[in-house]
Amino acid sequence: MGLAVGVKNTAPVGLHVAFACLGLAFLLIFSWVLLQEQTAEWRTTQARFAGLEAATKNPHQLAEAARVGGLRQIWLPDLDRVDRCGTCHLGIDDPAFATAPQPFRSHSGAWLTTHPSDRFGCTTCHDGEGQATDYAHAAHQPQPFVTRPMRPIETIEANCGTCHRSLDPPDAPRLTEGRRLILESGCFSCHDIPGFEGLTFRGPALDSLGYKVLPEWLALWLKDPKSYLAQSKMGNFRLSPDEIASLQGFLLSQRAQVPLDSTGIDWKRADTGNGRALFGELRCVSCHAVNGRGGTMGPELTRIGDKIRRDWLFSYLKNPHRVQPDTPMLQYRLNDDQWRDITAFLLEEYNSAGVVAEPPLVAYQDARAIAAGRAVFERRGCISCHRLPGIEDSGRVGPSLAGIADRDPDELPYGGNIVRHTAENYLFLKLLMPDALGQPSTMPTFGFTPADAAKMTLALASLRKADLPASYVLKPPPPKPYRPAGRFGELMSRYRCLGCHSVGGYGGDLSTVPLDRIGSQLIRDYIVTYLLNPGAVRVSVEARMPVFHMRPDEANAFADYLSTVFLDDSMEGYDANFTAADARRGQELYRQLGCAACHQIGATGGYVGPELSATGTRLKPGWIAAWLTTPSVYQPGTLQPDYGLSSADARALTAYLSSLGRSGRANASAGGTR
Amino acid sequence: MTEDRIDLLRRRIFGIGCVGIGAATAGFLAATFRFLVPNVLYEPSRRFDIGSPAQFPSGSATFLPDRHLYVFNSADGFFAISSTCTHLGCTVRHTGAGFECPCHGSRFDENGLVVQGPAPQPLAWYAVSLSPRAQLIVDLDQSVGPEFRLRA
Amino acid sequence: MNAVGRSIWRIGWPVTDKDRAAAMISSIFLHIHPARVSRHVLRPTATLALGLISGILFLVLSVTGLALMLYYVPYPPESYRSMKDLQFVVTFGIVLRNMHRWSGHAMVAVVFLHMCRVFWTGSYKAPREFNWVVGVTLLILTLALSFTGYLLPWDQLAYWAITVGTNIAGYAPLVGDRLKFLMLGGHVIGPMTLLRFYVLHCVMLPLLMLMLISLHVWRVRKDGLSGAEVHALPAPAEEAAGVFPASTKTHGLMALSRRPRSSVEARDPNDEVFAWPHLLFRELLVTLAVVVVLHVVSLVFMAPLEEMADPLRTPNPAKAPWYFLGLQELVHYSALVGGVIVPTLIVAALVSLPYIDRRKTGIGRWFAPERRLANTVFTALVIISIALTIIGTLFRGPNWAWVWPWA
Repeated sequence: MGLAVGVKNTAPVGLHVAFACLGLAFLLIFSWVLLQEQTAEWRTTQARFAGLEAATKNPHQLAEAARVGGLRQIWLPDLDRVDRCGTCHLGIDDPAFATAPQPFRSHSGAWLTTHPSDRFGCTTCHDGEGQATDYAHAAHQPQPFVTRPMRPIETIEANCGTCHRSLDPPDAPRLTEGRRLILESGCFSCHDIPGFEGLTFRGPALDSLGYKVLPEWLALWLKDPKSYLAQSKMGNFRLSPDEIASLQGFLLSQRAQVPLDSTGIDWKRADTGNGRALFGELRCVSCHAVNGRGGTMGPELTRIGDKIRRDWLFSYLKNPHRVQPDTPMLQYRLNDDQWRDITAFLLEEYNSAGVVAEPPLVAYQDARAIAAGRAVFERRGCISCHRLPGIEDSGRVGPSLAGIADRDPDELPYGGNIVRHTAENYLFLKLLMPDALGQPSTMPTFGFTPADAAKMTLALASLRKADLPASYVLKPPPPKPYRPAGRFGELMSRYRCLGCHSVGGYGGDLSTVPLDRIGSQLIRDYIVTYLLNPGAVRVSVEARMPVFHMRPDEANAFADYLSTVFLDDSMEGYDANFTAADARRGQELYRQLGCAACHQIGATGGYVGPELSATGTRLKPGWIAAWLTTPSVYQPGTLQPDYGLSSADARALTAYLSSLGRSGRANASAGGTR
Repeated sequence: MTEDRIDLLRRRIFGIGCVGIGAATAGFLAATFRFLVPNVLYEPSRRFDIGSPAQFPSGSATFLPDRHLYVFNSADGFFAISSTCTHLGCTVRHTGAGFECPCHGSRFDENGLVVQGPAPQPLAWYAVSLSPRAQLIVDLDQSVGPEFRLRA
Repeated sequence: MNAVGRSIWRIGWPVTDKDRAAAMISSIFLHIHPARVSRHVLRPTATLALGLISGILFLVLSVTGLALMLYYVPYPPESYRSMKDLQFVVTFGIVLRNMHRWSGHAMVAVVFLHMCRVFWTGSYKAPREFNWVVGVTLLILTLALSFTGYLLPWDQLAYWAITVGTNIAGYAPLVGDRLKFLMLGGHVIGPMTLLRFYVLHCVMLPLLMLMLISLHVWRVRKDGLSGAEVHALPAPAEEAAGVFPASTKTHGLMALSRRPRSSVEARDPNDEVFAWPHLLFRELLVTLAVVVVLHVVSLVFMAPLEEMADPLRTPNPAKAPWYFLGLQELVHYSALVGGVIVPTLIVAALVSLPYIDRRKTGIGRWFAPERRLANTVFTALVIISIALTIIGTLFRGPNWAWVWPWA
């Protein structure tokens, strides 16, 4: 076998040169690979921190720190998170770096004490891409393909709400406000919202609307509720004039409950002056604002004269529970003349156009218009807030908001508005202008201010899709409803005590006095006196209990029940056999501790706390002693100081205070010692 | 150039190429080894927070079952002893006079030194330190001797 | 060399040609090559080294793939998370992952070009028909490997590409549903699908591929490169006339196998050079070049990783991997034609090609004039496939509507 002659047994030089070049190129590029690793962003950051550390820490601490090098990782399999933020944020848990430049600055506040990073990680609260090890990929700013970049601090409370499911989570004012707004606006009537299950929001009953309202008012209201009532909870449904007309016909044809008989009333003899006085006595403004001042539990009355028919108003005031059994309004005990006076006063005083003659009731006969109106009523989901017999409740008309924060932002319509496509931006726009997002919308325009809409969006942004492990969820159970029965239950229902007072956390908070131990606090006879004629106990407090005009037997029934059932055993059985020496020592202590700075006795003293002149007839000694000893137990955050009184001193003060109001002696001596 | 000079040049150039490849290959092997070493561990951390000093009253001996640790707050300071028996890994019990292992009867004294039994080594002691926020930190990667105390 | 060295290496570093030839045939790795080769096939234009490059890429993929297997977790959603770990915390993780992906794409392209080269040089004709069939099988395996690997990152790109791909497979008549069910390990793409694809991608298909590559290369050794055959001397007249018995010098085992038509002696001895150093050196250069280019590409271009796969969110448009986009374009017109008929016809045509075209003309020469018709038809089909792929990649937007890529 021959070999080709003339062919050299080595490759041409050209190939050798190529070989050398490629070999060198390989070496260079490989070095580049190694270099890239060594110059990774986190390494340079850690080197910078080492410089900072050397200036801040002592050698022992430096040795400690040197043992923990390289990448830092917090792995939380329960929460499905891997957070490597600590690789660059090296001073986050060290107060010594409070003023260091970022990323080395320590965490603000005490958040890491209540939420240690080995249990919560970082991205639970701040979002971002926890697995990344450089600034860009960690999504400190929005990053492609990262669904949840880091949250701006202004909206971080949205993440608090993921675990803290109560309506008032601690240290989260914007979230609490947002949830309160949702609660008050009744969003859950049309939308299924996690955290607001089981709540009902009811607008007024409409089954007798034909007798209740004036037709012009109804047209005005349907066109834009806020034109009548600025704080209306009902939104603007953007109805067309045809829809308004047919709806008006439908609603005004609702005449289920005929008003109470007021034919015997002589309206010409109505005394509006008396009406005004009664209006003040009944403390209507506790719940109904007029001209912008007053409570918000009931509708504002500033223009009630434009809205309500006279006979219906008379009938309603006389017996509200007949027309609307679940109304919070209580039933006072007045006679027809008094109701006449109040009705006349309200209609004359609170209207925008002066007194005009009421148009007569018209029977609505156009069946087609009524049917059309009914169709509008059903289509726009009015049934969600206004019960109407004959219209069945077909469930919530709006989509469920469960997991809304994790909705695919690309699927949501933004209507040509130039915003970044995120679920939160969509929610914000939707709250502000539901009909301007490029699709026809059933949702009414509520007229939220941008600030309010922002807070509600923040609250909604806490509604995530994924479940949390139970150990992370904080949802206190709602207070158990308190529904007494029997005569007491009847009375409580008539006078709607739970509208302002609470029992076991259930009820209203207009009064700062829960009823749970009221029987151990107040002397029985005082309860009777007070209910029949509530006076001012605190000068500085605006809210007052209304004059119910209740009968003495009703007041006694209340007092009996409260004094028998709403007791605190630790206060019962206090030895009230005081000696004169006790009372003297108490008086001395009263002077020494400077109680007169806040409390009045007779004509002297301050206005911060309750007046004490009649304490002996008002408060039970057991309560006085308990309160003086540890006030914050009974009212957290009270202004009453805790003097650290010994039980002897508390007894002395109790003796002194219990003597006040029993005889004239205390008043004179109170004046004398000043 | 003469044939021989070309040949020499060729050899030199070939040599350069070989050096390049050789170096890169060595680097490649080193890189492979470095690649195999994990940089993060999906395990519970070896250096962890066990709570504030106030949670361990003076004179107490506290057993932390999920950390396999006994934490002591004695008169002269804090220290931590592993609860893992050095024989075959069972969890030892703390008695008045030290520790005893229920599995094979090993006994250790108050300092974890072997008194009796098949255990070959004393119980491990781990360094306890204070974090900047005054929390107790135990480091399982730092073994110390029975004279270790942390004053806090 | 001492006794220990001799027990390992047998022959020391060869200095003479004889020793080099001996080293070539006695080494398990080197004896893929013959001891001597025709110098005509050393020219780059002979085969463009495409087969060699495919092999190199397969090796790179195997090595990088093995490395990646140490950190990748084949169970969703950890699979996505482990991809991020490779990107952020594994030393050289980015480079390895990029290299694996770009080598995979490169291998599909190179294997395709290799097939084109083989066609245009008529190297599928007898006696190389079966090797062509093995090659077509290897092409399908390459596509299958790329496809199974495409799912593993478990991001939106991966999930929906595989959705499209398995749906196209589901269009096959009679067996389509069953096939899709087996591919998915169920009715939907889920953890079991990922596990199947993972085992296919890392074990089954590579093993199959390795076996078939060995067969393929073995055939090349037996049949010789067509580029060399062109320059072959005719068989000696005495042999052709039957005067002397047919030469039994073959590569076969103990002369029991039939003598192939182009045997060793058919080559012109004047054209032979030793494989070591000529062939080996050039192979080394090609390997280096491929490795350098791969490194540069892996350092400059990042392999994509979108958000984690979400079965409830379909990207619009959802596109198959690029090598199936031509098919997806056809499927857009007709699912049956595009998804079933055309691929079947293509595969059937490729596999039966060497048995239909029995003419022995134009073997070993690029674009031989005798084969004008065949070359034209094939080139046209290649251009159409490339055009369809380009359309599917660049000119199709949401809802598969036509878009201008520069818009």
